[in-house]
Amino acid sequence: MDIIESKTWVEWLITIAKFAFCFVPVLYILLLIPMERRGAGFMQDRQGPNRSYIKIPYFGKIRLFGYVQNMCDGTKLFFKEMFAPAGVNKVLYYVAPAIPFAIVFLSPCVIPWFGPMVFEWGGKMVRIPGSIIDSDVGVLLLFGFSSLSAFGAVLAGWASKSKYSFLGALRTSSMTISYEVCLGLSMMGILLLAGSFNLTDIVTWQEHHVWGIVAQPVAFFCFLIASIAETGRAPFDVAEGEPELVAGYHTEYGAMQFGLFYMGEYSHICINSFLIATLFLGGYAVPFVTTETMQAHMGGSLAVLCGILAFLALAFLHMVHRYSKKLAATAQTHRFEVLREYKLYNIIAWAAVAVFVILGVCAWFFYNPSNMVVNGVAVGSLATALGTALIHLLVLVVKSVMFCWVWIWVRWTLPRFRYDHVMNLGWKIILNIALINLVVTAVIAKLVGGN
Amino acid sequence: MRVIRQKPMTLGERLYIFEALRGLWTTLKHAARGLFRYETLPTISYPEGKPEVRNTYRAKHRLMLRPDGTPRCVACGMCAAACPAHCIFIEATASDDPRIEKRVMRFDIDHLTCVFCGLCVEACPVDALRMDTKEMVFEHRNRDDFVAHLYDLTNWDPKDYPDDEQSQVAPGGTKNAEALRVWGMEVK
Repeated sequence: MDIIESKTWVEWLITIAKFAFCFVPVLYILLLIPMERRGAGFMQDRQGPNRSYIKIPYFGKIRLFGYVQNMCDGTKLFFKEMFAPAGVNKVLYYVAPAIPFAIVFLSPCVIPWFGPMVFEWGGKMVRIPGSIIDSDVGVLLLFGFSSLSAFGAVLAGWASKSKYSFLGALRTSSMTISYEVCLGLSMMGILLLAGSFNLTDIVTWQEHHVWGIVAQPVAFFCFLIASIAETGRAPFDVAEGEPELVAGYHTEYGAMQFGLFYMGEYSHICINSFLIATLFLGGYAVPFVTTETMQAHMGGSLAVLCGILAFLALAFLHMVHRYSKKLAATAQTHRFEVLREYKLYNIIAWAAVAVFVILGVCAWFFYNPSNMVVNGVAVGSLATALGTALIHLLVLVVKSVMFCWVWIWVRWTLPRFRYDHVMNLGWKIILNIALINLVVTAVIAKLVGGN
Repeated sequence: MRVIRQKPMTLGERLYIFEALRGLWTTLKHAARGLFRYETLPTISYPEGKPEVRNTYRAKHRLMLRPDGTPRCVACGMCAAACPAHCIFIEATASDDPRIEKRVMRFDIDHLTCVFCGLCVEACPVDALRMDTKEMVFEHRNRDDFVAHLYDLTNWDPKDYPDDEQSQVAPGGTKNAEALRVWGMEVK
């Protein structure tokens, strides 16, 4: 009972609600798969999958810009028969795909989703950290979790009783191990500067000094390459290089077991892009605006946010309008069907614009909770803290989506490296660059007189 | 023999990273085109939108018609002889018209065997066989339907070939009346 009574109900509510962030990587899969498919299409001057539709009675077909295709594929994977080849180790074979996917729910625990919520409640100052677990070994915990996902690949490769799977698993494990080293070492520079393993502290340091990408450009570069390699995506996907190894460690898997590997991979991308955004791009910090300024002008900040969202909705409307005009001029037999669907999107987007504008205006005029400064820390009401958290969260999401795009972008641009090239790059180049960067950073930090 | 010696890579190229960035820039341009100028993508969404077919495209065959509606074919068998795939089957019979020796009783083209080389069109001495229908879709429920018979080959509409004078001579065409008069006059 003491534990429960040590916090007020609001604190408990927010603390428990924060566990919902565990599902963010899984939600990102819903975003990343269409992004990858349509993005790949656009890069190759194709349209990408856009034909599947849901038929709505009395309305027509809803295509959602090709999003329905992903639902169809997901449904197909889900209802396919689970099949194990003869002679596999049944237990490990069935457990293996779940490992990378289960890790996905653990990794987001240490990422700060918003700045520490500091507000006044019931006469006391309440401080709630932005991460689910505000650990002092945050980054290390995250690395521990994400290297666990290699077990999934290794066990899958070993249990499948297939040469290709086995070779794929060997390659995955060796690559994960070698690039974990680079990953850890390239990150050390920014840790030295911030003087903490705690991700919240790192972000706070960046907020008050300069973003990691400016302070440590070389480290950022090494970290980006190493984390692309660690997720096992092209150009580093030697583990599942189809000309050599069919599909690597998940050769023998089908149906939702394959789906779990697939989702695990995408979630891994999500986690890594959150990590990069947090370490090098200021995490939840809004560019050029400090949290204190934002809190002092809460209504204005929310109004600007609503304005940006309304602008995005208008841009969407413009794109739909352009395409509708072009489509109406063609002789395509399904043009009225598609135009009808676009009319629906038009209505929704205009409604969104109206809602955002109204919300923005309301926020500007009516959402100005009072703040006070106690010992240099802005302490506002719960309303201020919630508004700040919302803006922080959206900023972090935008940054991480940008890095997710980098993953897709790189995959569809660069050809796959040969296996020995990957190892050379990892051990002989990136590791050395990271080490030199660390030494230089340490010397400069000592000379300038950091901690 | 011509030997092409590749230039050795410069330092910038060997470093890979700059070339990789150049490649990323290229793909970014294409992705931006797809996202912001989606309507300019060259893809034709096929069953709904039809591609433009050239006049010279060798599509499904048709048999040209005389002004009175009989096929122009004189059943000489040149096309069947020229056909490398042996997909044309012709049976001749005596013509009712005293000016003409033979007419076709059966003219079958098996489109499952046809290789669409166009040699039959080249071989025809009376310009009876053409491949300018621009029909490129062959979609039937069973194999027998892929065999085009005399009826299918002559069952075309002159309105679909407005620029072709020879097609307008056929019944229903703009020049049919005049041609029919000329055709009738020659009998006497």
